[in-house]
Amino acid sequence: KRARRPKPCSLRELELTVSELGLGYDSDETVMLRYCSGKCAAQRHNYDIAMQHMARAGFRKRGRKDKVSNGPCCRPTAFEKDFSFLDNRSRYHTIHNVSAKHCGCV
Amino acid sequence: KGFHCPDGERTCNPCLDAAKACNLNNSCKKQRSTYIATCNKEDPNRGDACSRKRCHKALRMFLDRVPAEFTHRLLFCPCQTVGCAERRRQTIVPDCSYNDKEKPNCLELRRICRQDSLCRSRLADYKVNCAMTPDSASTCPNQDNHQACLASYTRLIGTDMTPNYVDSSESNWVISPWCTCKGSGNQEEECTGFLRHFTDNTCLRNAIQAFGYGVDNVQSR
Repeated sequence: KRARRPKPCSLRELELTVSELGLGYDSDETVMLRYCSGKCAAQRHNYDIAMQHMARAGFRKRGRKDKVSNGPCCRPTAFEKDFSFLDNRSRYHTIHNVSAKHCGCV
Repeated sequence: KGFHCPDGERTCNPCLDAAKACNLNNSCKKQRSTYIATCNKEDPNRGDACSRKRCHKALRMFLDRVPAEFTHRLLFCPCQTVGCAERRRQTIVPDCSYNDKEKPNCLELRRICRQDSLCRSRLADYKVNCAMTPDSASTCPNQDNHQACLASYTRLIGTDMTPNYVDSSESNWVISPWCTCKGSGNQEEECTGFLRHFTDNTCLRNAIQAFGYGVDNVQSR
C-alpha cells in the first residue's frame, strides 16, 4: 500500500456554530473557522536538521536535556479581524484571533 | 429564497439564518463585526455608556456598503418565535443606537432630525417612499414599490430618527422611532399623525411582510 502524499501546509475551513468553538460562549450563530494544517517537510532549514541531530545525541553529550522541535510547524501567520456575534441570551460579544488568515511553516 | 419556515417548525429561525449568511460572506461579516464592536464598546468618556454617535456612523457604513440582500435579510427576517423576533430587534444594537434614558416628544425629535441635513433628507425620502396611498388597490407608492420603502427605512437607521421594532413580539410587531406623543399639548394631533408613519403604516407593514414571504426577492436583485 503506497503512502499518500502529504498535503502541504495550507488554510482550511469549516462551518461551525460559535458554541462549538469551545470558548465558553453559547450562541447558535454560524461561523467559518479557518485553520492551518498540513506538512512542512519542504521548508526545513539547516537549523532544523542540526536540531534533529542535536536532540538525538548532541545535547546529552554536552549535559543538556533541552527539548527542541526538529521541523517547522504549520501555524497561522496572521489572524482574521475581530468577530462579533449575538449570543443566545441576546448579548453581543467580540472575539479576537480565533480564525486564521494566512498559514506558514514557522 | 428559503426564509419561510415550514409549518410547525419550532427551531426555524430566519434571523439566525440571516446572521449565518452574513458571517459566511467575508465583507458582510467584517462590516457587521465592526458596527457591533463599535456599538457594544464602552466610551471611556461616558462611564459605562457607548458612543451613540460612533455607533450610528458604523451602522450607516454597514448599511451603505453591504448589499441589501444581506442587510435587509437581517432587518426584516420573518419570525414565528420570540427568540427570532428578539434577534431581529437586536440587529441594530438598540441598547446603544436606539434606547435612551428619556423618550423625547416625537415633534421635538423631528425638529432635531431636521436640523441635520442627512437626517432631514432621509426622513423626507422615507415619507415619500413609504407613504400610504389613498388608492385602495396598492399599499405603497409607485406600483407597490416595496423595495423603495424598505431601502428608505434602512437609510433612517443611524440617524436621530433611527426606527426599530419596539419589542420581541413575533406576530404583532410594531415599529417606532424612540419617541412618544405624550406632552404634545395642542400639537397632539400633528404628533400622532407623524408617529403613525412608523407605527401604523400599511405600506411599510406590507413591504416587510412581503419581504419575509419572499415575494419581493426577484425585485431585489
